[in-house]
Amino acid sequence: MKQSALLLTDSDFVPVGAALSAIRGFQDLGEDDLLVITRALQLTGQLPFEPASLSVIVFASKSLELPGEQWFEDVIRVLKPGGTIVIQTFLPVADHGDKPSSALERKLLFAGFLEVHLIDMKSVLQPEDTTLLLTMKAKKASWVVGSSFSLKKRVLPKIQIEDELDLIDEDSLLTEEDLKKPELPPVGDCEVGSTRKACKNCTCGRAEEEQKVQKLALTSELLDNPKSACGSCGLGDAFRCGTCPYRGLPPFQLGEKVSLSGSFLAADI
Amino acid sequence: MGLERSRRLLVLYGSQTGTAQDAADRVGREAVRRGCPSVDVLSVDEFDARLLPSEDVVIFVVSTTGQGDMPDSMKEFWKFLLQKNISDQWLEHVHYAVFGLGDSAYQKYNFAAKKLDRRLLNIGGKPLVQKGLGDDQHRSGYEGAFDLWLSSLWNALHEKDPMLLPRSIDNLDASTQCLDSPKFEVIFHSINEMVATGTSTLSDLNCAKNLIGKVRSMSLGKSHYKRPQYLLQLITNQQLIKSDADADVRHLEFESSSSDLRYQVGDVLEVLPAQDPDAVEAFIRRANLDPDCYITVRPKVIGKHHDSSADMSTPPVKLRTFVELAMDVASASPRRYFFEVMSFFASAEHEKEKLQYFASPEGRDDLFQYNQKERRTVLEVLEDFPSVQLPFEWLVQLAPPLRTRAFSISSSPLAHPDQVHLTVKALTWTTPFKRKRSGLCSNWLAGVVPRKGVPIPAWIHGGCLAAPPPSEPLILVGPGTGCAPFRGFVEERAAQKAEGAAVAPILFFFGCRNQEKDFLYRDFWVSHAQDGGVLAAGSGGGFFAAFSRDQVHKVYVQHKMKEERKRVWRLLSGGAAVYIAGSSAKMPADVVTALEEIVAEEAGLDSEAAGRWLRRQRAGGIFIEAWS
Repeated sequence: MKQSALLLTDSDFVPVGAALSAIRGFQDLGEDDLLVITRALQLTGQLPFEPASLSVIVFASKSLELPGEQWFEDVIRVLKPGGTIVIQTFLPVADHGDKPSSALERKLLFAGFLEVHLIDMKSVLQPEDTTLLLTMKAKKASWVVGSSFSLKKRVLPKIQIEDELDLIDEDSLLTEEDLKKPELPPVGDCEVGSTRKACKNCTCGRAEEEQKVQKLALTSELLDNPKSACGSCGLGDAFRCGTCPYRGLPPFQLGEKVSLSGSFLAADI
Repeated sequence: MGLERSRRLLVLYGSQTGTAQDAADRVGREAVRRGCPSVDVLSVDEFDARLLPSEDVVIFVVSTTGQGDMPDSMKEFWKFLLQKNISDQWLEHVHYAVFGLGDSAYQKYNFAAKKLDRRLLNIGGKPLVQKGLGDDQHRSGYEGAFDLWLSSLWNALHEKDPMLLPRSIDNLDASTQCLDSPKFEVIFHSINEMVATGTSTLSDLNCAKNLIGKVRSMSLGKSHYKRPQYLLQLITNQQLIKSDADADVRHLEFESSSSDLRYQVGDVLEVLPAQDPDAVEAFIRRANLDPDCYITVRPKVIGKHHDSSADMSTPPVKLRTFVELAMDVASASPRRYFFEVMSFFASAEHEKEKLQYFASPEGRDDLFQYNQKERRTVLEVLEDFPSVQLPFEWLVQLAPPLRTRAFSISSSPLAHPDQVHLTVKALTWTTPFKRKRSGLCSNWLAGVVPRKGVPIPAWIHGGCLAAPPPSEPLILVGPGTGCAPFRGFVEERAAQKAEGAAVAPILFFFGCRNQEKDFLYRDFWVSHAQDGGVLAAGSGGGFFAAFSRDQVHKVYVQHKMKEERKRVWRLLSGGAAVYIAGSSAKMPADVVTALEEIVAEEAGLDSEAAGRWLRRQRAGGIFIEAWS
């Protein structure tokens, strides 16, 4: 189809003059530019147009019901970026104190249209009673919108995608179970205990303190004159008990003053 | 089909930071110890997915990244597997098993492994065992689940195919355990050989780039950055936060030595940090080697698996240079296998015992406490076990590779041609044993003196934030250093506006702790929020800041967004793109929830419909860059 403008109606017939003047309100029409489709809602499948090929679509509806989500998506598909949609319809029954036009406004917004607003336009189908008639206009985004970016996708421009392969939806691979919020892992019964065992001849007091699990204080006394009958304290963290007062310090020699390296927080002393 | 079946155990890993690779290496080693005649361990991006059906047994080890995604190295492979036209019998002759590495603090826990496992099943694969899920939140990290899963895997494989796995248990008696063979060989060159080639100095830029590339190629795998795209010079180093605050954030400006910088806003700058020369020196001395001797390092060629990418004619380099550029000696922590190998080279009995204990399942938790939680460095470990003398080729294999660090670029090339800016927080933290640790790259950058010092190897690539066209309205959310890329966005749009382009409004939400202390780039945002600026409220945009600690109750960016719900809704329904950036991994989810709530309220929808509209149905995408 080479046309750039489309008049859709669910009515069986539409007066040509009204159709032409409706479209001309939005763009100039050459001889071959306009296509009219009547009984539009009975079309099976998609509108017979290439994607992004139409500049204007006017839909004149005689029913009180609005078309479904798929119809709006199809309209977006065939409209050029920056293209215009105009829907003239009778006011659907308002509920919840909504403005009568709200339902249509919402549908347009959700399909991704911009600048949705009411306009004045002569009625196309020329019904007898025009009190409930309204006309709404909206635009398709004028910048090119790429494939939908959902939260889960990262954009990696470096990866060359050769052809657009037909892919399954990866989220469909997850079950209810998979989607449940994970619980923090329990302490497994097959776990070996993580508490450090006291040295064989521990003098730091761990052997006595097993039940209380207290870290012993590191005093300046201990720093000046380090003591360790078990001999392990000076060997470094790999060999110290969990409550060793020297834990966190580098290895040292017994009998020499322990130097606190710059990377140790001496808040306790 | 006529495809020759390869009788081997294939281990494929999808690794982001090297953890999955280490786990995969362990699978390979354990298979060999149980008599497997043929094992290969490869990254998924080194394997052609089309050849999967001809494999007998494939073990997958895959990490899930923060947003529930596959690792980058796995994206193409995964895309291939997702094709609709793959039959449900495609892998009918392939036995497989999946182990995932993830973090249960995230909603999308181990999504990569879960999806992969199900997909493999759906296309005909025969699972050997149930998928294993490793969890960072576990007391001993992923190894908690890994040990058990591996045992069940070996039992199942031994039953299914005893030719491929003759023994299901390893000989657990430590005294009879054999040392494996190292992966690398190191050739030491005599002085005479070196006279002809001469030494490369860093004065010639191309030479320098080639040198760095060659050195890093010697021991690093395919996925690491090798030859630098740029050698950058730091020209400005400015503190953004008052020095009495407990954080240090720097504004850094760089030039390229060859004036060839090409980038877009939203791109990422990847930098190779320099290590402390004293630490490098101490490490080399501890290894009993001469820093000035010349070496060549290359993978050991074992039978059929020839790494053809190793350049056999690479000129030798100084040992010191190799260590500086390729081996992380004073920052990253080694893995369990390091301790296992060390035990073979310990001459003191108590050290040998301790190392064997650390490498055993019983010692796993204690190792995790001592090593991973304390961020014990290679140098520190070697100093704690003074009787261990590791041959250098083992050190090359086991020391963590020196990794590049990535930062969001905070400038626009329109506003600063030939320059690239970064906003970097110098990270410090305290370990459970009260040791102070600091991030290698951020602290090194904070200390670089402008226009002095060696050129900095760097790469630029796209990140998660696509550069927006000027006519697209924007909602930007960037608390803390998350504001970095958006400084670039604002600079760019202001420059485009000045050139006469029609620009759409920007609505920016910033957050920090205290208005007086850490309000990064305050003057910059304020100036662009004046009338006529790209952040001006009058044009439909705006600039709003949340100061979390300036009052008794916490105020974050999402609260400010809710306050400005009308403004947000107007832009969202106008097709604005949403960009979220920051260093908190949970913040993006909180922000998106706030957006959904705004949509639900303003449009009169339930939260599910609001979410659907926000993500898929409206014009304008959502882009998230979250770093940890």
